[in-house]
Amino acid sequence: MAVLDDTTRAGIVAEIMRQLSREAESVAITKPELRAAVDALDSFLDTNATAINNAFPAAARNGLTTGQKARLLAWVTLKRWGGQL
Amino acid sequence: MATRAIFLPQAAEFPASNYAQITVINERPVLAFDASTAETVRWTCLAPQGLTGTLTAVVTYMMASATTGKVDFEIQIEAVSDGDATDLDATTSFDTANTITAPTVPGTAGHIDQFSCTLTNADSMVAADYFRLSLKRDATDATNDTATGDCYVLAVELRDAA
Repeated sequence: MAVLDDTTRAGIVAEIMRQLSREAESVAITKPELRAAVDALDSFLDTNATAINNAFPAAARNGLTTGQKARLLAWVTLKRWGGQL
Repeated sequence: MATRAIFLPQAAEFPASNYAQITVINERPVLAFDASTAETVRWTCLAPQGLTGTLTAVVTYMMASATTGKVDFEIQIEAVSDGDATDLDATTSFDTANTITAPTVPGTAGHIDQFSCTLTNADSMVAADYFRLSLKRDATDATNDTATGDCYVLAVELRDAA
């Protein structure tokens, strides 16, 4: 799977900014820096997609859909580091 | 300088698309300008008697979340005098946009800042003109609008040279 296209990456930046605005949560980086973070994470996930998939136990790896595994990854990540959707 | 008009969020008018949202933050009405889409609001007024000289708009704002970066805005004026041939029910005739030197946002979200915009292009407005002021966050300017998140506009003051 290729990295996300430019429009999708920009959409992520726009949505996260709207969420942070709604929550009045301070953000100490600029828009270009936020976009660079999205780009870097997307590239990292693209590079390491196979390794992440292999981290799932066989039952989950084979029994969950790709979308369900992505949701699981998102929730575990958020719970570990305190973010919220 | 003399204050000639004050424009508050409750009196804002909205174009058909890409307009800032009016909302309330801590019981204060604000216009929330998005960080990704260039949004606009307008106000309508009659130019007061005694209006003279170059006009200046002073915008009071705060950021929803950003503590670094800059915000960029443009202001346009459309002035219609008695007897003008402007067909108001079919035409908009805003003058060329007036730009600003994009201010750096306050280091704490929620603190106010003010910037001024010299209205060099004021559509030859004179006293008694029916006019509109259009305010747009130039959110797609990658160089001059770098602050993340919403920019909340609290008020706009119109000053002249008196």
